[in-house]
Amino acid sequence: MAKQINVSLIGNPNTGKTSVFNLLTKLNQQVGNYPGITVERKAGVCKLSRGVKAHIIDLPGTYSLNASSLDENVVIEVLLNKNDKDYPDVAVVVSDVENIKRNLLLFTQIKDLDIPTILVINMADQMKRKGITIDIPELEKRLNTKIVLMSARKKQGIEELKKSIEDYKKLSVAPCLDAFEIDPEYFGGLRRAFPKQSLYKLWLVITQDVNFANISRKTISDTSAFQTRKESELKRLQQKETIKRYQFINETLKATQQIDIKNAKGLRASLDRILIHKVWGFAIFFLILLFIFQAIYDWSSYPMDMIDAGFAALSDFFRASLPAGPLTNLLVEGIIPGIGGIVIFIPQIAFLFLFISILEESGYMSRVVFIMDRLMRRFGLSGKSIVPLISGTACAIPAVMATRNIENWKQRLITILVVPFTTCSARLPVYLIIISLVIPKERITWFVGYQSLTLMLLYFIGFGAALISAWLLNKFMKMESKSFFVVEMPNYKIPLFKNVAINVFEKTKAFIAGAGKIILAISIILWVLGSFGPTDKFSNAKEIVTAQYKDQEVDDLDTKISSYRLEHSYMGYMGKAIEPVVRPLGYDWKIGIAIISSFAAREVFVSTLATIYSVGSEEEETIKNRMASEINPVNGKPLFNFATGISLLLFYAFAMQCASTIAIVKKETNGWMWPSVQFVFMSSLAYIAALVAYQFLK
Amino acid sequence: MDFNFQTIIVVLLFVGAVFFIIKKFFIKSSENNNCGSGNCGC
Amino acid sequence: MKTTIASLKRGQKAIILSVSTDEIPLKLLEMGCLPGNEVMLLETAPFSCPMYLNINGSHLAIRKEIATHISVEIVNS
Repeated sequence: MAKQINVSLIGNPNTGKTSVFNLLTKLNQQVGNYPGITVERKAGVCKLSRGVKAHIIDLPGTYSLNASSLDENVVIEVLLNKNDKDYPDVAVVVSDVENIKRNLLLFTQIKDLDIPTILVINMADQMKRKGITIDIPELEKRLNTKIVLMSARKKQGIEELKKSIEDYKKLSVAPCLDAFEIDPEYFGGLRRAFPKQSLYKLWLVITQDVNFANISRKTISDTSAFQTRKESELKRLQQKETIKRYQFINETLKATQQIDIKNAKGLRASLDRILIHKVWGFAIFFLILLFIFQAIYDWSSYPMDMIDAGFAALSDFFRASLPAGPLTNLLVEGIIPGIGGIVIFIPQIAFLFLFISILEESGYMSRVVFIMDRLMRRFGLSGKSIVPLISGTACAIPAVMATRNIENWKQRLITILVVPFTTCSARLPVYLIIISLVIPKERITWFVGYQSLTLMLLYFIGFGAALISAWLLNKFMKMESKSFFVVEMPNYKIPLFKNVAINVFEKTKAFIAGAGKIILAISIILWVLGSFGPTDKFSNAKEIVTAQYKDQEVDDLDTKISSYRLEHSYMGYMGKAIEPVVRPLGYDWKIGIAIISSFAAREVFVSTLATIYSVGSEEEETIKNRMASEINPVNGKPLFNFATGISLLLFYAFAMQCASTIAIVKKETNGWMWPSVQFVFMSSLAYIAALVAYQFLK
Repeated sequence: MDFNFQTIIVVLLFVGAVFFIIKKFFIKSSENNNCGSGNCGC
Repeated sequence: MKTTIASLKRGQKAIILSVSTDEIPLKLLEMGCLPGNEVMLLETAPFSCPMYLNINGSHLAIRKEIATHISVEIVNS
């Protein structure tokens, strides 16, 4: 008989709660969203003993049940609503041995909710080093709970935790203190008015203004003779409540915990001094960034080449083994290259998130947020915007999701709006191919050539555009928003490999899921548009072109046929239609098509050009050679010249071309307004910049 | 172009792809995300 | 000497006297910023913003604007 126990894992951030979750569930985890809102929901399963399973929810880290952000709201939603499917049979509060005092605040609040509660003291292996001793039995008595000492890092304590969860019915649900002594008259009245509900739950409903089932702040004030209070009085009561809880905690800890100050200092203070230093702090950060980018570039080239070759081989294989026909062509020329175009970015994205994850797990990222905050605020951003901005150099999708921890809505919104300006991996193939076509190979000094300089410049242009737009948005957007910045500076620790690995896996999956389906769909659409045409000209292309060159010796007749066919396909007509719009930028209809299609995903530019030049073609010329030989029909000169090249580079630097990004921005800002604004602004900027560049340079 | 099996599949895929894109971008109310306990990662 | 956290110098310790409920979010109180608790300024970023403090054992950073609303009494070590 399988029994299921619902468990909620809750605790302050930085307590290693995630490590405990990972240890319990191993890889039986699922990451999704809470319905309707953009908060991550992490759930997993753990086998306790024969026939008994624990369904574990890792709730968002929070310091208190008094929620000040969307994800903290989720915590109350789950814990207060008995009908919520995640409502726990037992709550496990994870605390870390260095911050027990603060962690216990949340614990005492949970204890007031009538839910069996276990207290985990994590990082217990550090106790000796920090000179901390705790009288566990006494503490258990005073807190009315079961305490499990754990070290997630050393994998200690996990069996005891599992057993305690299984025996949850033995736990007392009595609260550990009476918080309501602070105002007996008010709370007494509340209790009399609603005798059947937990008093603390009622209090939370009033202060948080949340609704559950049939209880809401309004029903409380409407229903009874109970007199509710003004906002400012409520706040004062909350302050009193917090003070009372801490009084209890202080007394309790005084009786049960001892800290030997001698052993308490450590590495943290000395590291902080350097890493936050006015000069060295920035220098070190800059060097770390440089290292990261260089490493990503170097390390990914090998796997990328392999993926490239692999997909090409896959195409060949299918072409050879499947019967000829439109489906096979679609598969070989549209779908496989389309998917390949996504997969090839996985190494870069995974490596970037690997580094970011290590920096976060080690505690260093908080220091970065600290030193960057003031600078970022000049541009209307927050210190916490730095992680999304850096993540944007991999892909904007996880970057936009990473803005969720920015408390100030205006700063968060601005970050979301400008992140797409940062040079994401998808722009790289476009940059690289254009640069190699139009920028000279010469070197300026022995280690820097014009080509790499141009690439670096493009990165700077991306960041510059992000910062300047942020500054403009900040100036012109009048928005009411509280500035409420609190960053915990956790102790430094060596990142746990398992946590980092799971984190990287989840973020990469987000990229694939977010972008993959869209790119696949658009690949199919594009291929079909390019392989079928509305008129006879298309179907009789071979005859027409052969007739045209009947009297001449022509080497590449097949290519000419393909070209003619393409020109008269649906895609060709679309390209011709927009040609007047793009000609002032120096492009022809083929580039026009590539630009349109890269609104699916930027890297599709190169693969579309590849498709455009190889659709129907039997030969294998490299894209570059084909592109180099293209002639601009207007002036007879090479199409991919310097002016056009620069124009294209600037267009791609600024254009909002990623349909997947638009989709995620819509989700995170809950509406179409902001992504539309973003789209219009960025596209206009791209068009104008490209126009000016081309006209000026030609 | 003869209407063989392959062509039919291609047409179906094309139509499916178009519907998908329209749904993703042009339907306002579609809450594309309903991952109560599902595996979305997005 | 009575002052605010915003005016503390590096390494200075103080006892918190009062915390204005209107200006200071509850969260900060819940993290330990309560009257009677000890606070020490550990580091500051350039231009004193943000400030890295040890409040009641918690290591955290807050912006200067908020720090001006927490009055403290400096402890003479």
